[in-house]
Amino acid sequence: MFRTTLPRLARHLVYSAPRYQAPIARPIARSSLFQSTRITPTSTAFQAARCYSASAGLSHEEVQGRIMDLLKNFDKVQDVSKLNGESHFHNDLGLDSLDTVEVVMAIEEEFSIEIPDKEADAIHSIKQAVDYILAQPDAH
Amino acid sequence: MAKISGLQREVLSLYRQCLRACRKKPADTRLNFYNHTRSEFHRNSSINKKDFGTIEYLIRSGRKKLETYEDPGIRNIANL
Repeated sequence: MFRTTLPRLARHLVYSAPRYQAPIARPIARSSLFQSTRITPTSTAFQAARCYSASAGLSHEEVQGRIMDLLKNFDKVQDVSKLNGESHFHNDLGLDSLDTVEVVMAIEEEFSIEIPDKEADAIHSIKQAVDYILAQPDAH
Repeated sequence: MAKISGLQREVLSLYRQCLRACRKKPADTRLNFYNHTRSEFHRNSSINKKDFGTIEYLIRSGRKKLETYEDPGIRNIANL
């Protein structure tokens, strides 16, 4: 008799436990309907289940760092010392228009978004690229 | 950078299309496609921008070539 009560007690504890936990750590299947309202994009709490629809909340520094790393590895950049947050692709880094297209395409891949031609043509500097990425909700 | 002309925009748009097509190629040979695309475009980058006839011809032949190479049956390209 004692043998059967123990597992039952344990099961009871397991099922009742999530009720007292933070909503963020709840199993996703049980409350997926309500989860989107509970997790705010600015939440810094630990998140056990990743919500792919939620905004990744990229920071300015992170975006800039990733773009700069990308340019650092780009073989056409002549003077890496001129690389900073304000660098202009053509004036500072010596890239021609074809190279600029390549850089913008690489940024697309890095943040898994697609930049339409018209907006891609308007990106000529790191600052413009960072601003564009920050304005995209689905960039991550 | 100076404002780009319509013809230049067309070239850049074709370049973008080509690079997008490269992404659809198998991962192990993708770099060959990238290198080929880059060298083809950079090879002619010194053409005078007033030489409309040549540029228009190159755009046309570039589009034809893209159509040919876009075929998923083409899985590798010579990397010279």
